Amino acid sequence: MKFSYNWLRDLVEGLDTPPRELAQLITLKTAESEGVETHGNDHVIEIDNKSLTHRPDLWGHHGMAREVAAILGKKLIDPVKHVEFSGAAPIRVSIEDYGLSPRYSALVFENVTVKPSPPWLAQRLEAVGLNPINNIVDVTNFVLAEIAQPMHAFDADKLNGEEIIVRSARAGEVIKALNDESYTLDPSNLVIADPAGPVAIAGIIGGADSAISDSTTRIVLESANFNASSVRKTSAKLRLRTDASMRFEKAQDPVNTIRGLERAFELMQEVSPGIRLVGGLADNARLPAPQPPIVLPLDWLNRKLGRAIPAEEVRRILESLEFRVEEIEPRILSVFVPSWRATKDVSIKEDLVEEVGRMVGYASIPPVAPLTPATVPPASPEREFHHIVRKMAAAQGFTEVQNYSFVSEEMARAFSLDPAAHVQVVSPIASDQNLLRTSLLPGIWKNINDNARHLEQFRLFEIGRAIYPDREVLRFAAALYSKDDGAAGLFELKRLAECLLPGVSIRPTDSSASYEHPRRVADVVFVDSKQGDTKLGRLFEFHPRMVEGGRAAVLDLDLSRLFECQPSSKRYRPLRRFPESAFDLSVLAGSRALIADVQAAMAKLAGEPLLSIAFLREFTLPTPSGEKARSLSYRLTVGAPDRTLSADEVGAIRSRIIEGMRAAGYELKV
Amino acid sequence: MGPEQIISELHAAALSSLERATTLDAIEAIRVEALGRKGKLAEVSKTFGKLTPEERASVGKLLNSVKQDLELRLDQRREALASVERDARLEAEWIDLTAPAPGVRPGSLHPITQIQRELEELFVSLGFAIMDGPEVETEHYNFDALNIPADHPARDAQDTFWLKDGRLLRTHTSPVQIHALEKLGPPLKVIAPGRVFRNEEVDASHEHTFYQLEGMMVDRDVSVAHLLYFMKTLLSSIFHRDVTVRLRPGFFPFVEPGFELDIQCLICGGKGCPVCKQSGWVELLPCGLVNPAVLRAGGVDPEQWNGFAFGLGLTRLAMMRYGVDDIRLFAGGDLRFLGQF
Repeated sequence: MKFSYNWLRDLVEGLDTPPRELAQLITLKTAESEGVETHGNDHVIEIDNKSLTHRPDLWGHHGMAREVAAILGKKLIDPVKHVEFSGAAPIRVSIEDYGLSPRYSALVFENVTVKPSPPWLAQRLEAVGLNPINNIVDVTNFVLAEIAQPMHAFDADKLNGEEIIVRSARAGEVIKALNDESYTLDPSNLVIADPAGPVAIAGIIGGADSAISDSTTRIVLESANFNASSVRKTSAKLRLRTDASMRFEKAQDPVNTIRGLERAFELMQEVSPGIRLVGGLADNARLPAPQPPIVLPLDWLNRKLGRAIPAEEVRRILESLEFRVEEIEPRILSVFVPSWRATKDVSIKEDLVEEVGRMVGYASIPPVAPLTPATVPPASPEREFHHIVRKMAAAQGFTEVQNYSFVSEEMARAFSLDPAAHVQVVSPIASDQNLLRTSLLPGIWKNINDNARHLEQFRLFEIGRAIYPDREVLRFAAALYSKDDGAAGLFELKRLAECLLPGVSIRPTDSSASYEHPRRVADVVFVDSKQGDTKLGRLFEFHPRMVEGGRAAVLDLDLSRLFECQPSSKRYRPLRRFPESAFDLSVLAGSRALIADVQAAMAKLAGEPLLSIAFLREFTLPTPSGEKARSLSYRLTVGAPDRTLSADEVGAIRSRIIEGMRAAGYELKV
Repeated sequence: MGPEQIISELHAAALSSLERATTLDAIEAIRVEALGRKGKLAEVSKTFGKLTPEERASVGKLLNSVKQDLELRLDQRREALASVERDARLEAEWIDLTAPAPGVRPGSLHPITQIQRELEELFVSLGFAIMDGPEVETEHYNFDALNIPADHPARDAQDTFWLKDGRLLRTHTSPVQIHALEKLGPPLKVIAPGRVFRNEEVDASHEHTFYQLEGMMVDRDVSVAHLLYFMKTLLSSIFHRDVTVRLRPGFFPFVEPGFELDIQCLICGGKGCPVCKQSGWVELLPCGLVNPAVLRAGGVDPEQWNGFAFGLGLTRLAMMRYGVDDIRLFAGGDLRFLGQF
């Protein structure tokens, strides 16, 4: 919204604060100024529209002048002079729904001369960004810019009948508007109609057929009030925002319609000499009951602001903004809200805290620490765990990425996910990014291929939410890209998994997805003797066809489950007092035997004395049948809690394992 | 030649051999020859029987002192040789420490994670709880409960990602205000960092996905002065120096009164520069006293309780702190960018 400095000077007595300084004051006390520009001999203060959405009154100069007068302690000049419109209304106004149009006022003029506006009028309009059109239209725009009352002038001779009807549009009704566009309407749109059909889209734009032209001699001057939400919806639906609709959207003051006509009446005489009123005022209104005054306890006000404001100061501020103030009890005020602030802006005592606060200046409030008990905030162990995970991943060389929550259907399918099982976006940012991710893998996969263009090898990870229709699950995914054969990367990620959850188990599986390397894929499982197995995720290599020029290993985990599997408490076990004994065993196993399976079999045979078993090494050797066999070596450590095992006892354990393994079909190199 | 003279000569001969010895073996040979059980000094001592007791005492004394001296010299010589050998060995052990150390270097945390974490720690130290809210929200929590009715112009400013099931992606972290009121009840101090979404065209300064940190305190008689205190503490901590802040009116339906909080430009100190568009101030965060309608929506009686709330743009803060000029880098996944933090 542009404000002419000269215009404000007309409305604030003795305004002499320079424009830039004034813009600063307005920013601090009322609404954000975006800058000041010179316009001829005028200055234009540009105020951010977003900071005016709650202030219907500030969409006109008089409203801003009221603020300026209050800020500077100067006198506000009302540009509207009261006029007694006597005589019968020359037209009838019917309003179908007062909820949508609380008031419709109009005057009819005759002996109108349509011609260009005088320079002063044209300049004012140009300064605030409105195009001068002709004297009649310019007066309506002038009133709009001055007191925020949108108006419209119809060519009275182009209207049918003597009745103005404010009604819902009929389905399919078409109107050609002043902008030469035709709009097809529906019953959610409010129109101004004559008995023959719509002549304007209420609160938005007039019709072309009844527009003012050079030959116009009689006009109907509309000054009405329309429901903000209805105007907003119609404006959005028709994709048509006008200076009028922008104002009505903010909930204009229905009292203002008459003021608009009074102001226009005066201006019309000046710009169209000889113009005459036909009859009196047409005014159909059903105004909402004025809201009761707001009770404002001054002590409460002081507590909210955190600074004592003298009672006289509060009263002076409110009165300068034209609130009416009565002291109903000592230190309790009753505050009547002026009609132009009452449509939606000010209705509760908190609103008055703002009025007083901004005018005394928030800079005058000293920061104060609240006197509250020192309490320890509730712990968030899961959040702490997430951070531990982050730090651990980073310590092992992985860099954190954050990917978008959107994926395409194609990408979902590429990762074996059913697009129909995803939450879908109605209007996605790009037509193919219409699903909310249920997996971090599509993003990680993209990161791998993007970075592979620049880097020989890298590690990255993400913690992010998978979004399902009924829940959001935090997931962890890490990836390692290299140009080698990829095996080392898988073990790096396995190590990361073991660091994140000691005791986690990696279980190779034969059932792989299409994006997984069919022979390098495993479930990541946590085994709890009481709870049973918890599947945490996957460790795999991306199928080589999915990765450019290298190999990429991935660890993909459900972070919530990983957290649930963390040991809940730690308890000390006494250190061993008796020496332990160790011996090594080597087992000949098949080429696809699993180190973990052989180890588990031996551990089971060793039984209670086994303190630990560690895999040492393997080597491959040919067998007589020509197949390759693997020799797997382990170190077993045994001991008893209450004594030192004798050599015979250790020997017996060893023999038991060897015999047991042989019975199970393994060959042992002894 | 008397025994004393023989001893002295043997002594001199051994010392002279020792001078020439260059190996531990040679030194050992000298020791055996002179001091061994069948060595030359032992031979001499066999002739002592012919001497008078007086002579024997005097020669015996000489013999002992020579033996001690030789032992000492032998040790010294051995030590000297060992030291030379050790030096030679160590010399051969030279390594080039400018060679690169093996092993992986730590990766880095996302810059937004780092800032978020820093703020979480700060607020926890001030007694705030940390809460999470869902990224998929209902209209109720994202708009209605925050005093943003269906036809409110504030919805203009927030281009919402609507979902086919009628829900939406939260456009701000403010819905957590309602969750916190419902879950924790008053009094409370809570922050809620998280990902938010706006259906906006993406360019260097606009993203459809970014991060905010919501903060809220509800207690008896929370004032603008309290809000100012926390904001000043917060910002001084973020920027590691004393920060001058100012409040000016700002309209947000979920607060009343509502403010825009500006900080004095850290680049020019308020004199005016391109960063602050010559104004001396940089707009940083919206805040205000919680609107009673929001408290009621969260089941809290606004006559008994009130509070303040603020919303901090974490992504924007990261851009300011690290001088990042393209917001798209944060979700771009480019390790050449992310590795810098």
